Amino acid sequence: MRIRLTLPNRLSLFPIVTSTCFLSAILIGLFSTWTQAFGYMPSIGSNHFSLEPWTRLFTHPGFVNSLKATLVSGIGATLLSLSITFLLFAVSYQTRFWRILDQTLAPLLAIPHAAFAIGFMFLVSPSGWIMRLFSPGVTGFDIPPDWNITGDAWGISLMLVLVLKEVPFLVLMSLGGLGRLDVRGSLAVGRSLGYHRVLVWVKIILPQLYPRIRLSLFAILAYSLSVVDIAQIIGPTVPPTLAVQVFRWFNDPDLVSRLLGASGATLILLLVVIAIAILYLLELIVQCFLKRQVTSGNRHFCVLFPNLLSKLFIIAMVGISLTAITVLLIWSFTWRWRFPDLFPGSWSLRFWSKGLMQVQDPIWNTVKTGITASLLGVFLVIGCLENELRLKRAGIHTNTPTMLWLTYLPLLIPQIAFLFGVQVTLAAFRLDGHWPSLVWSHLLFVIPYVFLSLGPIYRSYDQRMTDVALTLCGSPWRVFYRIKLLILLKPILFAFAIGFSVSVAQYLPTLFMGAGRFDTITTEAVNLASGSDRRIVAVYALCQLLTPLLIFLSALLIPRFVFRNRREMQG
Amino acid sequence: MKRFFAIMIIIGALIGSAAVQADEWSDIKQTARGQTVYFNAWGGSDSINDYIRWSGNEVRKRYGVTVKHVKVTDIGDVVSRILAEKSAGRNSGGSVDLMWINGENFRAMKQNKLLFGPFTQKLPSYRFVDTVNKPTVLFDFTTPVEHMEAPWGMAQLVFMIDTARTTKHPTDMNDLLAFARKYPGRITYPAPPSFYGTTFVKQALLELAADRQALYRPVSQSDFDVVTAPLWKFLDALHPLMWRKGKNFTNGAPQMKQLLNDGEIFISLSFNPNDASHAIANGELPESVRTYVHRTGTIGNTHFVAIPFNSTGKEGAMVFANFLMSPEAQLKKAVPSTWGDPTVLAVDKLNAQDRAAFDKLPLGVATLSASELGRVITEPDASWVAALEKAWLNRYQR
Repeated sequence: MRIRLTLPNRLSLFPIVTSTCFLSAILIGLFSTWTQAFGYMPSIGSNHFSLEPWTRLFTHPGFVNSLKATLVSGIGATLLSLSITFLLFAVSYQTRFWRILDQTLAPLLAIPHAAFAIGFMFLVSPSGWIMRLFSPGVTGFDIPPDWNITGDAWGISLMLVLVLKEVPFLVLMSLGGLGRLDVRGSLAVGRSLGYHRVLVWVKIILPQLYPRIRLSLFAILAYSLSVVDIAQIIGPTVPPTLAVQVFRWFNDPDLVSRLLGASGATLILLLVVIAIAILYLLELIVQCFLKRQVTSGNRHFCVLFPNLLSKLFIIAMVGISLTAITVLLIWSFTWRWRFPDLFPGSWSLRFWSKGLMQVQDPIWNTVKTGITASLLGVFLVIGCLENELRLKRAGIHTNTPTMLWLTYLPLLIPQIAFLFGVQVTLAAFRLDGHWPSLVWSHLLFVIPYVFLSLGPIYRSYDQRMTDVALTLCGSPWRVFYRIKLLILLKPILFAFAIGFSVSVAQYLPTLFMGAGRFDTITTEAVNLASGSDRRIVAVYALCQLLTPLLIFLSALLIPRFVFRNRREMQG
Repeated sequence: MKRFFAIMIIIGALIGSAAVQADEWSDIKQTARGQTVYFNAWGGSDSINDYIRWSGNEVRKRYGVTVKHVKVTDIGDVVSRILAEKSAGRNSGGSVDLMWINGENFRAMKQNKLLFGPFTQKLPSYRFVDTVNKPTVLFDFTTPVEHMEAPWGMAQLVFMIDTARTTKHPTDMNDLLAFARKYPGRITYPAPPSFYGTTFVKQALLELAADRQALYRPVSQSDFDVVTAPLWKFLDALHPLMWRKGKNFTNGAPQMKQLLNDGEIFISLSFNPNDASHAIANGELPESVRTYVHRTGTIGNTHFVAIPFNSTGKEGAMVFANFLMSPEAQLKKAVPSTWGDPTVLAVDKLNAQDRAAFDKLPLGVATLSASELGRVITEPDASWVAALEKAWLNRYQR
């Protein structure tokens, strides 16, 4: 009798289904956008290809400054996030300070970008909370000073907000990447050879870590160069960043502007591609340089300054994020609140009682879509990973890097560069405005993140567990769900929670694929943000924050419950 | 005798057409029952959202029409979605049934044949609309409406000042410049092409231009540089005295309202003459805020609802549009604590009871009376909007 020791071959369908899911949308969207960028859009009577949209783009008033702010905020945020993440790991990893970061990582990740930007803005603006703390007592200001803190022309404030939001993400991705590196061993060997722990990190661990988080870094780059919602809140205004400008062109009632928008969107994509190429080049240069440094035997190192910097940043990041949320909480209970009062002059429960009545439908839409998309996402990703394992065990060579790039594609291509094209195509087949299309568009962004967070841990699963179990019961399915899934329950639930929070955060896809018919908590919050009544915006932003947070919480609590009788699994 | 017949024929025709109209309307109501209307409208104001929710509930109770408010940040993106549908050959079953619209967006939709209609002449409530004293219900930013959109509310540019900071408000644009000299950094206006910003620029031009009539002809027929020279001279002087030294602008009136409450600026603007009273009642602005207009009058216009050419529920959309224009709905909309949006109806055309209700409307604490609001200046020819926006961007977005 022959016992099948692997899961069936149908697994090979998973990568096909998963990549078709992405590629179709992206290719269709890009193609449609590119033809429009070269002036081809029959519906508005533009039937021939031309370079006119491009010349109009380059001669648009303020184009150079717009580009400048885009590059400074986008590339600056990426490089700063990477440097800070490396600094945090090298100096503070597994120190007392690290615990602060460890415990706040989930809530930091769960804070929606737009909500964070609104809170941050109220914190630092000249009439903000920090200023109110010192006014009029210290500063003597009865009215807020006319200082240009947010919305500076270079996009510095935008860059800082992006850094504060991206560092937690990069830390999370690095933690996943470190799972497969022997950090403790490297540190022990390095220190026994007389190297300071920071030096061991710099010379041994970080060079191994970088390739593992490279794609996440590129995703951050693509996101930062093309972000719309935060840039609208805290970015420069005349001119705004390129992405905001493109978004306006797409929404301009003068329909010829769509061509301009398409060329601008394509330019953003080009910027992302060029920036990634430069980062690659930089990597090679740093590699050459480091090779000599690493083997030089130099053990001299001054640690005081980075140590301080790292601690300072952890405090600042956690502090600012939590204060921004606190400020939102206060605004949500406010009736009247004027400068320079530190707290509202009068309070009210009105906005919560009203808000909670109104958010029921949007929350239901959000939860329904998020759970479906993340369930499908986790299912497809596990299928792909199992297929990878099957091929590996069968001795078939798999091209993992290519697969990885494919998975990452939706994160590396700015949403703005293809979503409008997808919308036109979906509308042609009358597929927009349907719930399955909405779930599909969310899946596009949920899958990569689920893959990112689950992949490394899933691959590092000790296959011998399965082997032993198989000799005991012989059913691959039973072993799979009784042993493997159970052992991996925690990371799977965490990946599900990440997928869910990604789904919750989707603004443009929800708007376009849903034809605006599906209110989610995010579309509602962004809509109300345009009306600028901070009190009701705060209620919605907090609901937007709480929804994924509850899912994260269950991701933490469910394993505790399931493993209540298994002490070794509790940790 | 001949005359008698003529009169009889006319009377007959009138009765007949009224009967036909009534028939057509009851047909529309019949078809509308059970339809769902996706009403695409700006969703940035909680009070307006509440009002739309109330109206939707009423038409569901009365006509069996379900209204879903699709909240949008900018109606421009709905225009572009409908265009996408048209370009994809989707001539029926569109995703939008009714939209809140005016000005540039209406012109773009009309020019590109994206609208259903004419239809407003079929709506019973339309007969109450004040087409005599409110010419902007017939000409939307000078674009002829031709029954392609149903008037919903009136707007007039007003300014709001925080009298806790200073009691003396500017009376015209030059006075505003003097005010800015006295209180540097305390005034601003939204950057065009935000329509609030464009309106401010148009208002300034109307006040400063040597020949105002030139603005009512297409821009191609006048010497743009000569006509607008006083405007640029004014703005060049104003910008360095503005909030953030004119390097940073707000995105619209709602954001300015927030800045006014924060004390960053002393003067804000609005298109709704009741906005200040409403915001005070709502806790958004302090009690010390008051409304004022410039001595020579301010720009006024009308906002409308329109039905896209490929709407799925055209009848339902008409029923809802008709309800929005009805005396009852218009009255509720005009109450300062609800929304405070002025009516498009001619109050003297209403029955005694409705008329009395309108007359009894409370005037908000910061609302100007009709006489204080003064003269409404009509919008310049629509072609000036694009030209002014382009010139503004060329000068100040560098």
